[in-house]
Amino acid sequence: MRGDSGLRISHVGLRGIVGRGLTAGHILDFAAAFGTFLEPGRPVVVGRDPRASGRMVWEGVVSALMACGHEVIDLGVVSTPVVQHALQKLDAAGGIAISASHNAAEWNALRFLGPRGTYLSTAEAGELLDIYHLRKFRFLEWDELGELRFDGGALDRYIDDLAAVFDLPGLRGFRVVVDCCNGTSALILRRMIDRYGLDFVLINERVEGVQFAHEPTTSARMVELQLGPLMKPLSAHAGFLFDVDSDRVAMADEQGRGVSEEMMLPLLADHQLSRGPGKIVITNLSSSALLEEVAGKHGGRVLRVPVGRQAAMDALSAHRPEQIAVAGEGTGAVMMPQFRFIYDGIASMLAVLTMLRERGRPLGALLSEYPQYSILKGEVRLESPRVPELLVDLLESYPDGKIDRSDGLRVSWPDRWFHVRVSHTEPIIRVICEQRGAPPQELFDSLMDKARSYS
Amino acid sequence: MPREHLLKIGVSGVRGVVGEFLTPALALHFAQAFGTYVGRGRVVAGRDTRTSGPMLQHAVQCGLLAAGCDVVDVGILPTPTIQIYVEHIRARGGIGLTASHNPPEYNALKLFNKEGQFFNHYERNELIDLYHQSDFAQATNAEIGQVTRDEGTAKGVHIDRVLAKVDVERIRRRRFRVALDAVNGAGSVMTPGFLVDSLGCRMDAISIDPTKVFPRIAEPRPDTLGDLAALVRKTGAEVGFAQDPDADRLAIVDEQGRVLDNDDVLALAVLRALAVVPGDVVVNLTTSAAIDDIALGFGRRVYRTPVGEANVVETMQAVKAAIGGEGSAGGVIFPAVQLCRDSFTAMAFLLDLMAETGKTVSQLVTALPQYVRKSGKVAFEHGRLGGLMQALEEGFPEAEADRTDGLKLIWADRWLHVRASNTEPLLRLAVEAKTEGAAEKLYQTAWGLLAA
Repeated sequence: MRGDSGLRISHVGLRGIVGRGLTAGHILDFAAAFGTFLEPGRPVVVGRDPRASGRMVWEGVVSALMACGHEVIDLGVVSTPVVQHALQKLDAAGGIAISASHNAAEWNALRFLGPRGTYLSTAEAGELLDIYHLRKFRFLEWDELGELRFDGGALDRYIDDLAAVFDLPGLRGFRVVVDCCNGTSALILRRMIDRYGLDFVLINERVEGVQFAHEPTTSARMVELQLGPLMKPLSAHAGFLFDVDSDRVAMADEQGRGVSEEMMLPLLADHQLSRGPGKIVITNLSSSALLEEVAGKHGGRVLRVPVGRQAAMDALSAHRPEQIAVAGEGTGAVMMPQFRFIYDGIASMLAVLTMLRERGRPLGALLSEYPQYSILKGEVRLESPRVPELLVDLLESYPDGKIDRSDGLRVSWPDRWFHVRVSHTEPIIRVICEQRGAPPQELFDSLMDKARSYS
Repeated sequence: MPREHLLKIGVSGVRGVVGEFLTPALALHFAQAFGTYVGRGRVVAGRDTRTSGPMLQHAVQCGLLAAGCDVVDVGILPTPTIQIYVEHIRARGGIGLTASHNPPEYNALKLFNKEGQFFNHYERNELIDLYHQSDFAQATNAEIGQVTRDEGTAKGVHIDRVLAKVDVERIRRRRFRVALDAVNGAGSVMTPGFLVDSLGCRMDAISIDPTKVFPRIAEPRPDTLGDLAALVRKTGAEVGFAQDPDADRLAIVDEQGRVLDNDDVLALAVLRALAVVPGDVVVNLTTSAAIDDIALGFGRRVYRTPVGEANVVETMQAVKAAIGGEGSAGGVIFPAVQLCRDSFTAMAFLLDLMAETGKTVSQLVTALPQYVRKSGKVAFEHGRLGGLMQALEEGFPEAEADRTDGLKLIWADRWLHVRASNTEPLLRLAVEAKTEGAAEKLYQTAWGLLAA
């Protein structure tokens, strides 16, 4: 893609590099589209992560929503899950979280939320996009405009609700090291420490708008780099690393080893299914097959959908909440029914700690009880027109496996699988391949060779 | 169908009806163009009390931040106070959200340079070109500035500048009984403190709640100030003051409850100003010849400009004038406080004059050079304007003609001025003469020629 300025306008919302692809004009127009899309009469909740550009984005968002006649409730600098949580409490029509989450500091984004704090469905997001593209906004007259008010209580109400689900005082025995990556998790965890006397050691706690201590990536490698050297000296039981808006989290064990982000969902599926056997785990086609094994142990089953939050949301809305154990991705982003199915890294962390307490083992020991799966991931630059040929070629090359063509091509066998798909955000195809036990190097190499032969 | 000017983007900024016409997107883009033009640094943002003010101010702040400026949010303040503050803190410029005397459904962006003044004609054209080119400065995350709030400092700075130019003790000793109508505008947050605390007045006030809508037509005119006149009569006030929503204009009610002619308000201010500072006087072409008589008494010159505050200000700056204004608009501009219309200076000058002379407002007015003025307006078609003016000039071959803004015809003891309005498709006619009879005759003759 020539001259890519990083601007992305899609069903997920609007994101880009501020001042390059993403301008104030885009932000105001998109927020106005959302203000037009929402039913009038109920407030709209707004919160932002600490990025310096967040204030600029916030000004535009507030102006557009007021112009569309909505009362705006501002939560200030809070995590995206806190915004989602507040939405339901405040009986709001919807909300906007201003955050580029795990992207670098120069990015920002608008994330649109429906009345229950959930992400928009595919149909809703499509309608919003249509309004944005038509640019026919419902700007009201001078005596019908919305007002702005600040609500500083959202953080405490969020912690109250976490405390109602998790036994927070019961976690006092754990020493936990947390890398807040200068983001909003610092505000939540500091308050939690003050309220419940928890033994959490926070690093990169200063909330920062321009210079994050490191890229806000929640990968095993980043965890090993940041938390690895601290775990043994601090005698910590577990370590966690959050992205800037605390919806994603990664883990380190007591030895200082980074835990693959792929392990978060199986771990929480195990935890949730042990409390509600027979339920469904919703995940995408690219996440670990360990899930099927874990679900099988509790008589549950795994429902695999195309990659992307939208497909997961659509699958969720096709079930009753009590049928679902957990939903999530291999990226470590997990939704639990206790929290109305939002990606919430803090809730994931508390669930893992609760699990450690119940099983009486440190994280590394607990993880070693799961069978070993090895995953290999690669990507190849490929012109979009050639993708169908590659997929047909692959389909014919591996005729013996179980086929799923709902998102690229996934072929699975009893002990291994691969998934080849087109990225939503870049002109590349992704190759993911996993095997129980040792890495499926040979299969991976031949897939990559085949993909490259089309590039 | 008469064309309604629901939105006007021009050299004086953006003005329009909020909703479909003056949108937050428009305010944002104009502010971003402004931020690009003045460069990175602090920009002051403030507003009057219109309900659309907060919405538009957020859009303006978004645009300024996006251009890489820091924003100083001064909240609700009179326009002159915002202008003074821009200069005081050495900001790059300022944006005031106010449609001045226009009805509540209107709003506008008023743009100020680093001296807290309007941009000159050339700068305004550059800015509007920049807006149309849409090639704005785009700050990255590391370059985005901050928003700070300062609602207190500016009021003190403005009031101190005004008080420095009058005999405060002389005014305070009189404990004047005054009445105020701030139209629930920006004056509401500052004028009561100014009159009571700074000038020691005993005040009765109406419409000083900045959270409420304008209770009367926003322009302070004789026909809109009935409530203030009644308050003056009821409380026995020595004077009544009426501001417009952004408190740059002032109307005055005398001790008998009569609303002064705006030309007399300016004349009284000129009388006071010339006694305290050196320099000449600048007024627009439609302002009373009384100003010439007063200036003559002080040995000063009078410069005439086309109608419009910006025109008056531009000439005032060029000639380093002592005072200026526009009679018909109720604006007093006193550069020793700030080069902009300022109702606070006008109030202080009148009280100082009353304290010094011991006279009532009506006595002060009676002592002014006496002229009779008449004015009217009529809808016209653009193509006919030249012919109408031609007919007028040919009808009065003996008069001296000035064509800098429409047509002004001047005799030794009278004048007439006809011009097209800048904001509406209307032709405005004003005449002035020494007597009622002479004024009426000139007025009727001129209409006769225009209607022909």
